[in-house]
Amino acid sequence: MLKLKNVKSCFTPNSIQEAIDMLKKSDGKAALVGGGLDITVFPNPIIEQFIFLNKLGLTYIREDEENIKIGATSTITDIAKAPVMQNYLKGNVKIALAEIASELLRNQITIGGSIARHHFYSDIIPALYALRATIMVSDGELIEGFFVDDFYRNDLKTLMETCIVVGVHLNKYDDSFQFGLKRFVRNATDIALLNMAILAQIEEGVIKDVSISVGSRPGPAYRFEQGEAFLRGEKLTEVLAKDFESFTKSNVDVAKDMRLSKEYRQHLAGIYAKEILLDFIGGVR
Amino acid sequence: MKVCYSINGKKKEFEINAGEVLLDVLRRNGYFEVKGNCYMGTCGACTVLIDGLPYTSCTMLAAKVDGSEITTIKGIGTLQNPHPLQKAFVEKGAVQCGFCTPGTILVAYALLKNNPDPTDDDIKKMLDGNLCRCTGYVQQIEAVKLAAKMLKKGDE
Amino acid sequence: MKDFKHIGTNTGKIDALSLATGQSMFVDDISFPDMLQLKFLYSPHAHAIIEDIDTTLAEKYPGVGMVLTYKNTSRVIHTTAGQGWPEPSPYDTYMFNRKMRYIGDRVAAVAAETEEIAQEALKLIKVQYKVLPAVLDMEDAMKDEAPIIHDEPEVKGAYDPKRNLAAHILVKVGDVEKGFAESDVVVEDTFEVPYAQHCPIEPHVTITYLDEYGRIVIRTSTQVPFHVRRIVAQVLDIPVQKIRVIKPRIGGGFGVKQEIILEDVCAYVTMKTGKPTRALYTREEEFVSSRTRHQMKVNVKIGAKKDGTFNAVKMYVLSNTGAYGTHALTVASNAGSKTLPLYNKAPNVEYIADVIYTNLPIAGAYRGYGATQGYACLEQVVDEVAHKLELTPLEIRQKNHIKSGETSPIFRALGEGREGVTQYMQSCALDELIEKGAKEIGWLEKYGKKTRNGSKVRGIGMSIHMQGSAIPLVDMGAATLKMNEDASFNLMYGGTDLGTGLDTIAAQIVAETLGIKPEQVIVYAADTDLTPFDVGAYASSGTFISGGAVLRAAMKIREQIFEVVREMFGEYDARDFVLEDGKVTSKKTGKSVTLSEIAYQTLYVKNQHQIAATGSMVSPYSPPPFAAHFVEIEVDEETGIITPIKYVTAVDCGTPLNPELVRGQIIGALVNGLSYALFEEYKFTDSGRMIGSNFMEYRIPSTRDIPEIVPIIVRTYEPTGPYGAKSVAEININGPIPAIGNALYDAIGVRVHKVPYIPERVLEAIRNKK
Ligand SMILES: Cc1cc2nc3c(=O)[nH]c(=O)nc-3n(C[C@H](O)[C@H](O)[C@H](O)COP(=O)(O)OP(=O)(O)OC[C@H]3O[C@@H](n4cnc5c(N)ncnc54)[C@H](O)[C@@H]3O)c2cc1C
Ligand code: FES
Ligand code: FES
Repeated sequence: MLKLKNVKSCFTPNSIQEAIDMLKKSDGKAALVGGGLDITVFPNPIIEQFIFLNKLGLTYIREDEENIKIGATSTITDIAKAPVMQNYLKGNVKIALAEIASELLRNQITIGGSIARHHFYSDIIPALYALRATIMVSDGELIEGFFVDDFYRNDLKTLMETCIVVGVHLNKYDDSFQFGLKRFVRNATDIALLNMAILAQIEEGVIKDVSISVGSRPGPAYRFEQGEAFLRGEKLTEVLAKDFESFTKSNVDVAKDMRLSKEYRQHLAGIYAKEILLDFIGGVR
Repeated sequence: MKVCYSINGKKKEFEINAGEVLLDVLRRNGYFEVKGNCYMGTCGACTVLIDGLPYTSCTMLAAKVDGSEITTIKGIGTLQNPHPLQKAFVEKGAVQCGFCTPGTILVAYALLKNNPDPTDDDIKKMLDGNLCRCTGYVQQIEAVKLAAKMLKKGDE
Repeated sequence: MKDFKHIGTNTGKIDALSLATGQSMFVDDISFPDMLQLKFLYSPHAHAIIEDIDTTLAEKYPGVGMVLTYKNTSRVIHTTAGQGWPEPSPYDTYMFNRKMRYIGDRVAAVAAETEEIAQEALKLIKVQYKVLPAVLDMEDAMKDEAPIIHDEPEVKGAYDPKRNLAAHILVKVGDVEKGFAESDVVVEDTFEVPYAQHCPIEPHVTITYLDEYGRIVIRTSTQVPFHVRRIVAQVLDIPVQKIRVIKPRIGGGFGVKQEIILEDVCAYVTMKTGKPTRALYTREEEFVSSRTRHQMKVNVKIGAKKDGTFNAVKMYVLSNTGAYGTHALTVASNAGSKTLPLYNKAPNVEYIADVIYTNLPIAGAYRGYGATQGYACLEQVVDEVAHKLELTPLEIRQKNHIKSGETSPIFRALGEGREGVTQYMQSCALDELIEKGAKEIGWLEKYGKKTRNGSKVRGIGMSIHMQGSAIPLVDMGAATLKMNEDASFNLMYGGTDLGTGLDTIAAQIVAETLGIKPEQVIVYAADTDLTPFDVGAYASSGTFISGGAVLRAAMKIREQIFEVVREMFGEYDARDFVLEDGKVTSKKTGKSVTLSEIAYQTLYVKNQHQIAATGSMVSPYSPPPFAAHFVEIEVDEETGIITPIKYVTAVDCGTPLNPELVRGQIIGALVNGLSYALFEEYKFTDSGRMIGSNFMEYRIPSTRDIPEIVPIIVRTYEPTGPYGAKSVAEININGPIPAIGNALYDAIGVRVHKVPYIPERVLEAIRNKK
């Protein structure tokens, strides 16, 4: 069955500039194609033209002193297999990525497509929030880095009419940082219904800095700032983990739908908050 | 529009619709060994290798992979000269209805190319997108391990 | 135990290499240039009457071949259940109808040059509905004021359609009330199992075309080719003779393809237009508009003496057949008939079932066929009795379960929608199954120990089961064999291999009987023109009935061969002949002749005739296979998440004709059952629309969801089955719900009364306990 029957033409631009020119000219009728998973599974009848991003040279994972730089068309498989990710934050980011969806889809899902589609699924975005990623966006001339929080404060729809996501930068964190991600799925390859990611800097047993993000499908992921304030400066102990569990349960903001009640999601978020902190205690020892 | 693929080593040119997915292009042109029905990337029956990596062809825009090398199950072995994976699937009882089998074997093929000695866990992770309602997976996993052994013994 | 050459060996599945190399042809792997594509329009209302339907625009749409509605199709009331004739399911269905009974009921269809055109044309059909009040809940449907779903006068065979009762069963043995009164303990509980789907990876698909003589050929993904032929003939009002049904390779069935869903409509279009026609369900249609498992509420009450022996067992089943009554009566019968005989010591037994019409999707046959639902409750209540009496789950079962040489009055009292047949168990290894399974899971060390790791607690549970092997005195299959020059044999039989390996087992049976290799058997199956009759693949009948027919045909061939040899050797006592390794040898004289020589002689030289025979099998017995299931789980008390750690299933299927294939049936059914216990269920909106009719929302397991699984096959010999075999395909789907339920109780002392055991429900049960 032809689901995308209104599409008349395809372009494979060789430069970002060219891609954006086409996008602008299209009057909202063109779609950028990363992996194309969303595009094919949820066809949009408005679309008449595809702009394939695979020839833009955006499939790479590089590093410099400060950053790991991931190109927008890198897939989850690419990222999870990249040498720099193996030990990045003790390999915990890689492990989280490798659990997403299924192998066949990990081969297809691009980081750019996932970022641009943030309101639909929340599996990758909580990790990016917690990692304080910088989203690199280009309008054809300039490449601008948006702190992830700021990026999602934009009106994405309008921004994406004239810009494309070209990549994401992740800070390199030293050994004082720990990362953890927990997710609730109905079975292994499900898209998470709730997930929580925490990045914390722990020095001499004290949480110096922390960022936390919670995603709950179908709602968007967000920064759980109250939770961060609760933890910042506290001594990381089992008691704190317990306290944080109850704090999270009553303060976290989660979506609900027929798949899972709000109450259960709050309950789970509390448990995940506690478990991640307990893992951190284990990691420090 | 026209696209050009190399399918199982043979150059092919097809007239396609710009919005078409690869699965439809392949089946329309007689590659019936590529199965599938969900059109959501959720069952894996439509798996093909594109430049050596396995993808669900139902979610892959045919135009996007213009110029690629595509491998279907017929590209890795034949009735007369089966690949060790195909033999191992038969031997271990890993084929029941066989509707999922082409896809599953192709993913296993890609796995063994990179990892000649996979653990159970490696196999489970790699085959997690290929749903099988008949076998319950245990014999498939055993078959992949058997094939790995056969390949190491040089049974290509 | 006898020594066999091919029986009991792992002959590779004869079609497996062809499937694994992508050579095999499924229904949809052919195409005709002028083929019409069939698409359906479905009712958006759970209960409505079509006041008018206007198809003018759709008919005019370029590329449309035919538009079908109740106005221009035959109005023959029938059942879509592919069962033996006369069918035990009510006649309550038309190809198209004015009355809509659920969201997903068929309004109209368009056959067009492409699927896209058909889809567009469907949008042009104008339908005026008069919406009626709908009823989605079984209990509501039984109330006096409930809307009547089947109010058409033609309905036949439903128990009491005015009360939405599709079927009703009442069977009594002894006096249960008196039995309860005389018991030392009485325990009662209720469990609910939901709507669920088979999810064959290949959905329903049919292609029809006219052959060169104008007969209709139906190439279809079916479990019941001969029933398809009969029912299509009935619905289209044409002779059976005009129809040929072919079953090529099939992508799984599990019961959902024991149904005539697309065949009649497709054949009708071909008949009217003369064109090949194809109908292929989407995954969404497969969920909403094919068939499902019957949702059931099952109540079991057991009265027992202090020593643990059961004195009275009562089971009440409330079953939801949805909008139509296909398999309504028989699935409900099986919920009792395949469970209650297991505990044959109780002198007082009562079984009652009410099968209800509701405005929800249509239930049908699904692996386990009611027994799954029955066991979900029975095997948990048995554990509850054990706990009350401070016996272990093993002890209470060992005291009460049926044994070799025994019978149960239920066999006779409760048949397949009618009275059954008395059966004495000739093979039953339950004692050994329990012993071996318990050992493998480590029962003694683990039971009641509640090992804890933080919030996670381990528990183990078990359950025992039986099923049947075909429907006694109903199911019939036949097979024809003929001999070729090179001592190969053509086997033509009606047996319907859906991927289970039946064709392979048939070849093994022939090889064993005729002293040849399985490769020398050319199997051709399930084609109504070319093979003899067989009811098809259901009720665990494949090996027992179809295999039995093959054995009978082969035995006749053996006789015919010996007849020739008698003359050749001038010896008369066939008991002196040994048929082995492709030749017949006389023990007395040492004379020997190859089968090939016999074939040449009889085909070309002397006493010329074709060595060929047809055998039929129908059985007064339906020997049950048995199983004991054991599971260790870990349950997280904080989240309610259950993780199965290890699953052991010990199975007695008589002689395992092909152990590797038996293992495949055991594990396949088990994983399906596990998933049914832990994640699968339909969800509906308040108006009766299924939510999430795709694999993204309806989760079925992947490689990452399976625990360690240990199948144990205990060999027995069933004298009524081919080479001692009984069935194995269904039984193992029945264990996971009760076994996990019992393990959950062992771990944390709670029971979840609604399946699946999703974390939220488990957590709620934990909270309610506190
Ligand atoms: C069956 C299934 C299971 C899934 N499971 C998961 C899961 O477990 N976890 C999870 O997180 N997600 C899951 N997803 C969602 C998946 O992550 C999204 O579909 C993701 O957007 C796919 O990435 P893509 O590269 O294929 O996107 P595309 O389909 O290529 O694009 C998605 C959107 O982003 C736009 N876009 C793409 N690239 C760019 C760019 N560089 N700049 C600007 N805009 C761009 C496109 O125009 C489109 O609107 C699943 C999806 C499916 C269908
Ligand atoms: S058809 Fe492609 S994944 Fe199911
Ligand atoms: S063998 Fe039937 S789906 Fe896998």
